[in-house]
Amino acid sequence: MIPLFVYGGASTGKTSTVLYMLRHLKRPFIYCSCVSCYSPSILFESILNQILLHRKNESGGYLSAKRCERPSDFVNLLGEALTALIDSLNGNMGKSSPNGRMVYLVFDRLELVRECDKSDSIIPLLFNLYTLLSCSVLSQFYRITRRVDELSTAFSPLFKKYCEPLGDLVAVSNEDMERKLYRHLQPFISSSQNETFTISSQPLLKDRNLRKCVFKKSGVCETLDEIDFHMSTSAKYLLISAFLASRNPATLDASLFDSTGGTDNRKKKKRKVSEKSVDQKEAKEQEILMKGPGTFPLERLLAIPQCIASVGGYSLDNEELQNDGLRSDGSDSGSMSDILLQLSSLCRVPILLPKVESCPLEGSTRYRSIVSEDIVLKVARSLNSDDSEFDFTLKSLGLNGGLTFVCCCNPFALKKVKL
Amino acid sequence: MGVENPAEVAKFIIRSRIADPLFVYSYFSQLPDSNYSKLKYIISSSVTEACNNSVLLLGPRGCGKTAVLELVLEDLLKEHPDMISVVKLNGLLHSDNNCALKEIARQVCMEHQLQFSKMASFDENSKFLLSILRECGLAHKTIVFVLEEFDLFTEGKQRLLYSLLDAMQSVSSQAVVVGVSCRLDADQLLEKRVRSRFSHRKLLFLSSPGEDFQRLAEHILLLPMDSRLPNDFRASFNEKLLNILAGEEFKGVVDQLCYSDSTVSHLLRFLFCAVCHMDLSSGSLSIQNFKSALPSIQRQPKQEALKDCSVLQLYLLVCMKRLEVKEVELCNFNSIMKEYKSIPDSFQTCDNFARNVCLRAFEHLLQRGLVSFQDNRGQGQSTEFRPVKLLISWHELQQGLQSFPSCPVLLHKLMAREG
Repeated sequence: MIPLFVYGGASTGKTSTVLYMLRHLKRPFIYCSCVSCYSPSILFESILNQILLHRKNESGGYLSAKRCERPSDFVNLLGEALTALIDSLNGNMGKSSPNGRMVYLVFDRLELVRECDKSDSIIPLLFNLYTLLSCSVLSQFYRITRRVDELSTAFSPLFKKYCEPLGDLVAVSNEDMERKLYRHLQPFISSSQNETFTISSQPLLKDRNLRKCVFKKSGVCETLDEIDFHMSTSAKYLLISAFLASRNPATLDASLFDSTGGTDNRKKKKRKVSEKSVDQKEAKEQEILMKGPGTFPLERLLAIPQCIASVGGYSLDNEELQNDGLRSDGSDSGSMSDILLQLSSLCRVPILLPKVESCPLEGSTRYRSIVSEDIVLKVARSLNSDDSEFDFTLKSLGLNGGLTFVCCCNPFALKKVKL
Repeated sequence: MGVENPAEVAKFIIRSRIADPLFVYSYFSQLPDSNYSKLKYIISSSVTEACNNSVLLLGPRGCGKTAVLELVLEDLLKEHPDMISVVKLNGLLHSDNNCALKEIARQVCMEHQLQFSKMASFDENSKFLLSILRECGLAHKTIVFVLEEFDLFTEGKQRLLYSLLDAMQSVSSQAVVVGVSCRLDADQLLEKRVRSRFSHRKLLFLSSPGEDFQRLAEHILLLPMDSRLPNDFRASFNEKLLNILAGEEFKGVVDQLCYSDSTVSHLLRFLFCAVCHMDLSSGSLSIQNFKSALPSIQRQPKQEALKDCSVLQLYLLVCMKRLEVKEVELCNFNSIMKEYKSIPDSFQTCDNFARNVCLRAFEHLLQRGLVSFQDNRGQGQSTEFRPVKLLISWHELQQGLQSFPSCPVLLHKLMAREG
């Protein structure tokens, strides 16, 4: 038989159909997925283990039946194993044994082979496996790709909501009732559409729909969630400062993080700026936004939280002394090691990414922040809700749909500017 | 026994014939001036005259080089039973010198029932090869070395080729080296010292033109005298088949098939598909079977991927196309979102989704292969900022939109508008 290639979009049922059909017809088959067999030797050994009906167990030290690294060994061993298997299948005609003399080799998610190390040699090998096996046993060759269905996570809460008015789920619904149910459901559809691809963390999804909504001018209902993971306060500061450092160029630091809270700038007389230069400035800012977050050196990252924190009267260590409102300025030595520890954990998350090409001779490595704005806003808001005298607000300047973030530390103003 | 059974038997017979290359290419062996007869003459003359020889078989993939070689060897083994032994090597597996020598030793030992030691070193294997050649020469036995994927042996230092061809230069050895390659310039890849030892015999396998195909199809599809088939069924089947094969429609289908690829294996796959579509109740092949097999051979992967997309993904693709038309130099997810958000300003639409949903849809597009990153360098940045490019053309996108089942009219309008 000629090899078969099964292809298609994600979660269309390729793998399940093939495996179900083979099991239903009781054909002997060997299945290996290129997700778990990411290198050639693992692939070869997995196939051989299945043919030789060998299971890795503790007594054998979790070893495979045969060690096989080179393609030439693999083809030889595979040929021998297949002939032995076919002989045993022919001889054993019991009821529980599989039908037929043809052994099927199923390779799942074959597109991942392109990304493995020796892909140049492995891909033609797998494609030509059929012709290389010049023994009397014929094998068929399937290739499948597969992915998990994401729609089910979105639809299950919607369905629960849909069924809410129905006290009795067994009741047969007619069209009138369906229409009423749909109208009841409709406001939630748009909000849950926007959450189609979320993977819910442990708090139940029901809570999300019941949270209070903040209505914007356009009338679209958006739920502002709290962050549902825990971060220490110093880590939150580092995250916010990393974000600001990435988005704003270094030259603005002086004006932004001035200890007087930037109020001086506002008092200065504003020159009349011409429209053209305003447009140019906007265009440049747009461009910077489009290109993505920039990199910043480690010293800048460490300097910013100090500025922010010193304005707000909060020291970056001694969280348990927060209630006293200590303004301890002799505690800098202790804070530095904490910050570096936080830094390494942020890199692992990853919230910060070190720029790879930086030369170690240049000094410290540069980092780049890869969190999005809404997470930073959530973190900032959570800082607001902490019991401190310090009011940290992020003010956004809308420019034709783009956003430039400017940090505005205002310990005395009680007005909060909401987005 | 109803009509079902003979049709199924007929289908089974034809399919097993198609899958058997030796049967298919035996048609070519009947032609007088074919490569089959030339190759047979070369090898048999070197066997009978006890001289060394080398020949290259060149031709595109699927032309029947290996199959013709198999036929020749089979015939020669029947004619001169004890005077030929065959060693088969493949460039995909044995391009490394050590592997190749080990494989030669293994095959020779298997044939002559000698003890093969897996632990034998490279030196021992090469000495073994020389002594085998000498012994076979003394015994007037020719060894035929078949080197498939010959061009892969020419990578690196070509040690194996050199040692083989050099060993053949001695008077006492009798060997024929047959190289099979799909690269038509395989002999240009040889090093100077190897090329000087190579006799420049080349056999070119060209793909068969269209009118030959009709006779080949008759050779395969006409049912033979078989005990399982009733005679009248066989006669009617063959008659109907001959009518179809001689008709104009069939010629049209074959011409369309040969535009892209006119090798024999391509045509065999087409015949296999057509036979699979055979309607068992009517009991014979019809021209409709051939026509329906054509699209499954000439697939359009991008069109299929487009049909699989969701409406949101189509919106994103159209936005990317518009950006291309506007000649925006930086095209990444942010700029696409900007374009997407500008649509509701000019048109009334309900398809306004949030950013994270669009990002996920965009990632699905990346996975499906309709868009891709422009370069591999930006690994440190997230998906939103890396520049992307479209992998389908304007024409394909338009065709996809037209064939999409429930495409919003808005998309057509957006495609048509320039600004």
